[in-house]
Amino acid sequence: MTELGLEIALLGAALAVGLAGIGSAIGVGIVGQSAAGLVTEDPDKFGQTLLLQALPGTQGIYGLLAGFIIMQQVGIIGGAPLNLTIAQGYAFFMAALPIAIVGLVSGIYQGRVSASAVGLVAKRPEELGKGIVYAVMVETYAVLALLASIMILFGIDLG
Amino acid sequence: MPIIEMKKVFLLGHEQEKNTIVSALHKMGAVELVDVKEGGSWEDFSRLLEPDRPAEEISELESTLGEIRYCLDFLQRYFPVRKSFVEQFTGSKLSLEREQFEQLIKNRDQLKDVARACREADEKMARLRNEETQARNLIGELEPWASLDVPFAEVKTGARAVRELITVPTDRFELLKQELDSRFPAHYLEPVSADNEYTYCLAIYLVTHSDGIRELFKDAAASTVNFADLDKKAAEEIEETNRRLEALEDNRAAVVEDIEKLLEHRTLLMSCYDHLQAEVEKMAVSDNLARTRSSFLLEGWAPALAIPDLEKKLEQAASTAVVVSRDPEPGEDVPVLLHNKGPVDAYEVVTKLYSTPKKNELDPTPYLAPFFFIFFGICLSDVGYGIVLSLMALFITRKLKLGGMGEQLVKLLFLGGIASIGFGILLGSYFGDLLGLTPLWFNPLDDPMRMLLYCLIIGLVHIYFGMGLQAYRNIKAGRPVDALFDQGSWFIFLNGLVLMAIPETAAIASWLAIGGAAALVLTQGRTQDGVVKKLMSGVLSLYNVTGYLSDVLSYSRLLALGLATGVIASAINAMGGMVAGGIFGTIVMVIVLMGGHLFNIIISTLSSYVHTSRLQYIEFFGKFFEGGGKAFQPFRTSGSYVEINEPEKVEAG
Repeated sequence: MTELGLEIALLGAALAVGLAGIGSAIGVGIVGQSAAGLVTEDPDKFGQTLLLQALPGTQGIYGLLAGFIIMQQVGIIGGAPLNLTIAQGYAFFMAALPIAIVGLVSGIYQGRVSASAVGLVAKRPEELGKGIVYAVMVETYAVLALLASIMILFGIDLG
Repeated sequence: MPIIEMKKVFLLGHEQEKNTIVSALHKMGAVELVDVKEGGSWEDFSRLLEPDRPAEEISELESTLGEIRYCLDFLQRYFPVRKSFVEQFTGSKLSLEREQFEQLIKNRDQLKDVARACREADEKMARLRNEETQARNLIGELEPWASLDVPFAEVKTGARAVRELITVPTDRFELLKQELDSRFPAHYLEPVSADNEYTYCLAIYLVTHSDGIRELFKDAAASTVNFADLDKKAAEEIEETNRRLEALEDNRAAVVEDIEKLLEHRTLLMSCYDHLQAEVEKMAVSDNLARTRSSFLLEGWAPALAIPDLEKKLEQAASTAVVVSRDPEPGEDVPVLLHNKGPVDAYEVVTKLYSTPKKNELDPTPYLAPFFFIFFGICLSDVGYGIVLSLMALFITRKLKLGGMGEQLVKLLFLGGIASIGFGILLGSYFGDLLGLTPLWFNPLDDPMRMLLYCLIIGLVHIYFGMGLQAYRNIKAGRPVDALFDQGSWFIFLNGLVLMAIPETAAIASWLAIGGAAALVLTQGRTQDGVVKKLMSGVLSLYNVTGYLSDVLSYSRLLALGLATGVIASAINAMGGMVAGGIFGTIVMVIVLMGGHLFNIIISTLSSYVHTSRLQYIEFFGKFFEGGGKAFQPFRTSGSYVEINEPEKVEAG
């Protein structure tokens, strides 16, 4: 008898990739807007602002990472899809939630901080490092969420 | 000693030799000058001092500088010098030999001519642009009339008939036509062309009807168009204007050519700019010195080691100069210069990005260096990525002449690559799972909990080390009691808590924890008044344990980032594997692998760098480092455009 476990697990993977990706897309978008404004005045700041723009992009990568691990574990990638019980499916779904939720919100907020850091770089290019540190304070929580997701994923009993 | 010892320097000289002495100092770049009048000790002598020279000369030089900057910006607009991606971070300067530079600044008098030529070209370009816009607008206005076969000269009011050009909103045209036909049949209305908005017409009617017809036109929101200056047919006029545009384009090309000829002066402009900038800097020194009619006094800071050299060079340059130095007095704002040897030098950039240490404070660089190396290695932890990163760093140092922080940063990345190779071998990651080699130690993907534990332990060591440094600071500052109570009690308490997790030591550990906690309760409120307040503060201080807990847990990011690098690499390999097969498949696979791994290297290096820095700044520095010192900024040549290669190597201060 086939159960819905696999589908629930894949819903988790989709949410991890999708929501964290949305967070990053919004964050990167916000930074890109202010960066483009600065570069109209000073084209030589392109490199520095690109670095700042890349910062809120990591949430999307973390989401993809969690999604990828789920796909690998349930056999969508590199193997035959497993026949999961509904309980197992929910376990994967829960595992995806931390990075999906935190990735969405922290990506947006990290984008805002990075956009302010673009303003910082406009006036004081030598203080790029401090702008990055502020942005990374936000990312901490995405990293912790990713860690929680990974811990749950590796703890799921597929036996 | 990572922080260089500074001495206060006083330099007394003869007014006649002032310029020589200031130039010599400027060239040496070993002294940071301070304003003599800020030190209160000169107030008593203020009657003796001559007033400052009016700043006329400076403002004259500054206006020349403005002129040069205008020329350079103008040239940059038409023939930009692009900076490469790496140079945007590191800056790039024109490299000149000293001899060339001297030669160029001798031609200073050419500046005026160059500036005039630039201005003229700029004006010409503006005029041409203006004419061009006018011509284009005219063509735009003429275009709807292109098919009109009547010359504009004949569109006029005669004795009997009125001929005029009108534009009618297209949706009202039919109505207008009907009205005209019914009320003034003796008319001629020819639509020449029409677009969505307007219909363009030639209208001919009798002078006697003109009032009535004007009224109709007004009702239909039609308006008359005049081409007063033109007399040929519209098509001919368009052709003529197009010819004029072409001529303008030719003129423009000629002016651009003229501008291109001016480009040869760019080096001259840059050199003179830097030269004059230096002159302005030297003159500005006059504001900071104390002066009588025939002598002057400069005050500044210099590294103690550089002082003998300073004395020798100044004696050579000027016979009257006297250098006196003394140790800094307490309360003086001593500038701080960091100096670390060997690989540790690279990690100065981490400290400097946070803050310059205060005077008398420990330079944290040598202490954070090994941790930074290890943490970076754990975050990236891939042999292939490490090799690529190190090679890229090597390539950049070879290719670009960097200095200061840029060079340190690249060196830091090189060392990070090495660390990554080491941890890659231990944890078995070679471009992810591309080579499938077994790890020397264990694979964190198989046992993430084990890796997490190691990460937290190494974090605990890092935090203990920071506490140890604070204890050392306290002891050195003559507060051994603080070291014992503040850091010692916490050390016992935290160790007790940690050891309680291990069954074999749990019994002793609980006593340790209780002892430590008791010590904290008893000592942390010692600055408060009254027994109750003391105990309250002591008990409340135990709450700080959450701070230590979150600090330690923060190191879990090492595991997360290490896993992220490895798993993304594996994902890229898996994607490559999906498209493999056949010649075409193999080519696509190679592209996917190369592009994917390059992307991952950049992203992972970025996050390794920023998160490792964060662990130093928040978790480590928070324990012992204050920062907020003033960095040593010597008085020296700092060209905006030109970098001069000295014929002989100048020894480092």
